[in-house]
Amino acid sequence: MGPRLDAAKISRGQAHHVMTDKTTPLYVVCSPCRHVGKTLVSRLLTEFHVVNDRPVAAFDLADEGPQLADYLPEVTTIADISDTHGQMAFFDRLIADDVGARIIDLDRRVFNNFFTVAQKIRFFEEARHRSIEPLILFITDPDPKSAKAYAVLRNQLSQASLLPVRNQIEAADVPYGDAPSKVNRAPTSLDIPLLGFPLRALMDRQSFSFSQLWRGSPTDLPVSANHELSCWVECIFFQFRLLELLLGCA
Amino acid sequence: MTKPAVVLIGGDKGGVGKTTVARTLLDYFVRQQLRVRAFDTEVPRGTLKRFHPDVTDVVDINHVPDQMRIFDTVNSTDATVSLIDVRAGLLSPTLHALRNIGFIDAAKKGDITFVLFHILGPSIASLDEIVDTAAYLGDAKYFMVKNFINNTYFFEWDEATHAAYFKRIPGAVGITIPKLVEMAAEQVDLASVPFATFIANKKQSGAAASYSFVLRGYVRHWLETISAEYDRVRLIDILEANESSRPPIGRPRPIIKVAET
Repeated sequence: MGPRLDAAKISRGQAHHVMTDKTTPLYVVCSPCRHVGKTLVSRLLTEFHVVNDRPVAAFDLADEGPQLADYLPEVTTIADISDTHGQMAFFDRLIADDVGARIIDLDRRVFNNFFTVAQKIRFFEEARHRSIEPLILFITDPDPKSAKAYAVLRNQLSQASLLPVRNQIEAADVPYGDAPSKVNRAPTSLDIPLLGFPLRALMDRQSFSFSQLWRGSPTDLPVSANHELSCWVECIFFQFRLLELLLGCA
Repeated sequence: MTKPAVVLIGGDKGGVGKTTVARTLLDYFVRQQLRVRAFDTEVPRGTLKRFHPDVTDVVDINHVPDQMRIFDTVNSTDATVSLIDVRAGLLSPTLHALRNIGFIDAAKKGDITFVLFHILGPSIASLDEIVDTAAYLGDAKYFMVKNFINNTYFFEWDEATHAAYFKRIPGAVGITIPKLVEMAAEQVDLASVPFATFIANKKQSGAAASYSFVLRGYVRHWLETISAEYDRVRLIDILEANESSRPPIGRPRPIIKVAET
């Protein structure tokens, strides 16, 4: 079973590194707010696994487009947890043995229901029992309900790690948890750096693929723009790699 | 030594979830490591027996030999608790029979612990049932159970009416059984296993099963909520009442000196 990770613990350098071949990550990308970049982070995470040739299963709990399934239909399952049938199809699949890394793009409309059901059925406890390491990637936002939801999750989740995501593309920097320590190398948040508008517009196209960019496929971008985007992706993939190591899922 | 205890689960109306409550109690007693035997009065087939075959006998509570089988062995059985799931319509006749055979008096004298779980229906008729039932109770511990598992809405119960009835039985304690997700209830029913066995993902034989993790989670959460209700009313303390803890009638209570500090 992997370590529990949260921003405060990492910043204090208390995370334990447990490396096992069998541990696989489960990322829940979430926020109670709209337009904060949940689907972008989910796409990046999914394609990070694709470029590393690792098995990955993405789950799309959004009910409005453009959604994860529009970008990555081959690895994404659309899920609906509004009734017991849907919950069985979703949660039972998540803890199945043969899935690989799991990435959940959690829509704001199902935010409460997802965590309520997960707590009730002790989903995160069972996941860890099966060597699946859950990490909640909470995208921060200036909206007060975001801070409130983060505090609730931080108090109630004892079997899942919680890490704020500072998405500078969508929102100004919002402080959550402990302040980052310059001395400590461990992350206190996942940072999505700023990116120029033309490149953001390019990324939003459903035909755009981060993995193709990573693999050096030719683009119609100017060299400098291509370089800027590649550096941006590299910065994020580096953080994903670090998270994997901390979760013991490398 | 622990007194033998008889737990009666009944209600005059059908379909209010008597057997479901009996099943939760059996799971609770097993978890609390209480030795228990059960009697299922749904003759001839039995319902409780389908879920708890190892500890359950099907009996005809109107049949004198079967009454002897239950009540004449209360003191001699290894089980601390004898649980009786009384089928619909038989609660009042059963209590009447218990009075006739002197069981109610034995409970009054403190020789036996007698606990009644009265499963209430949604209508005002259930409140009338309470009054009828109370006449038989003597010193029995009386739990009135509102069972929401069958989508029951206690629509006819306004607070004043409710309070007026409850006042007639001062020692009565209310217990609430929450609703279980329908699909989970159906799957446990199909599996024909105790709730705890379903949660443990096992078949009746003990072999591994493949029940849905989600449904098992719902059943576990539901059963834990009910167990918390049983803890709240201190059910185990009632059932494990010690014979020697009761002061003997007609003799002065011993004076215990407490050392001063």
